[in-house]
Amino acid sequence: MIEVRGLIKNYGALRVLRGIDLKVQQGEFLTLVGGNGAGKTTLLRIVATLLNPTAGHVAVGGWPLPQFADRVRRHIGLVSHNALLYGDLTAGENLDFFARLYGLQEREARVTEALQTVGLLARQRDAVRTFSRGMTQRLTIARATLHEPDVLLLDEPYTGLDQEATRLLDDLLRREQVRGRTILMITHDLRHGFHLSDRIAILSRGVLVADVERETMSAGDFLNFYDEVTTGRVAA
Amino acid sequence: MTNKESLLTPPVTTSHSRSQPSARSRAYLGTLAAIVWKEVRVERHTRRTLSVMLVFSLAAVVVFNFALELELDAARRVSSGLLWIVILLASTLGLNRSLAAEQEARSIDALLIAPVDRSALYLGKVISVLLFVLLLEAILLPLFIAFFNKPYWRPQVILIIILGTIGYIAAGVLVASMSIQTRTRDVLLPVLLLPLSLPAVLSAATAVSAFMGPELPTWSEVQAPIALVIAFDILMLTAGLFTYHYVVEE
Repeated sequence: MIEVRGLIKNYGALRVLRGIDLKVQQGEFLTLVGGNGAGKTTLLRIVATLLNPTAGHVAVGGWPLPQFADRVRRHIGLVSHNALLYGDLTAGENLDFFARLYGLQEREARVTEALQTVGLLARQRDAVRTFSRGMTQRLTIARATLHEPDVLLLDEPYTGLDQEATRLLDDLLRREQVRGRTILMITHDLRHGFHLSDRIAILSRGVLVADVERETMSAGDFLNFYDEVTTGRVAA
Repeated sequence: MTNKESLLTPPVTTSHSRSQPSARSRAYLGTLAAIVWKEVRVERHTRRTLSVMLVFSLAAVVVFNFALELELDAARRVSSGLLWIVILLASTLGLNRSLAAEQEARSIDALLIAPVDRSALYLGKVISVLLFVLLLEAILLPLFIAFFNKPYWRPQVILIIILGTIGYIAAGVLVASMSIQTRTRDVLLPVLLLPLSLPAVLSAATAVSAFMGPELPTWSEVQAPIALVIAFDILMLTAGLFTYHYVVEE
């Protein structure tokens, strides 16, 4: 579903991604981890059509980017640590606005259903700026999945969430996984990333240094492996 | 759910996206309506843009009026210029307020990953800011009539003001979308926008002044400035429609 080959991204003279090769199969949940400045967000924003690659091949559903960005956009949903919502609008108005942008039919029913799914139906008339971080993040999931995208892109979705909100977000993501969405998540939370995903890849200084099937390793072993790979104590 | 095509349909031809022109027009108009609807709702909840523009404009009109009170004839002579100064500065404030909020919350990213034409995002923003500024002008004009006793009620005057405002906002949304991405956005917007729109604004002010006398001017007297204002409108709208995606995308 997502194919990245030899991806290079420069910001001026700075090379942020140095030849990334990555594939995410349809319905697969891949978590990408790595330190600050590893290039995770840049990679995700390229797949999200928000940035253009400097060189290399990126395709979603077989459609090369950025040439077919218009085609791909209808099929991707983005959850970021920024809510990408309008704080001054109510929860219902936010979803209604995005339903209009995506040209969804039966908007009212779809918005109600989405709010119900994330447990915010009772707060639909409240301004988003009055929401807690956890509630905002749930609404963000509702916004990102309103148009039933095939691919869900998650950029640090757990940032600033407490235990309860984290558990609720876990449930929502598992539900999206069961629905067959292809999910690419970047996170600093190694344990969460490991437990939720089918595969976990490690990005370090713009290079993909490891790509691990979850079933082949325990969480503890993975944490040790991550330390070894990112500190360069062993060759990847 | 919308009738969306499967993502996995292979990209062997480009015919996939050649939907019927009427469907594309409907989608375009739908995006425009959505953007305007959103801006109006946000304004209805916050009064963030209109209130600032209105307070600034009223303060400016009162200050100008009292500052020029001793020279009433002079005030009448320059009232058209004063009107444009107030409109331009208030519009600049409105543009900054309207675009800054979207940039700060990064909600612009949610718009950019939506499958919508970038020119519709531009046009939607122009229409919504234009609505707010026209509303402001509807309040300002009676005040100018009252304070300066000039015929700002004339339909020709109103039309010239609307034409001048369209060009200024069309240029303003484009420039503000660029300046908003910089740290010096509050300063950069007027510094770039005012010189850019100077020819059109001067022409609009000249045309409005021509209608301030007891006699209506002949068409040949106002033809040149009005033509320049219209040309500026067309130029700025066209530039915005065709270049906005370069401004907001990488």
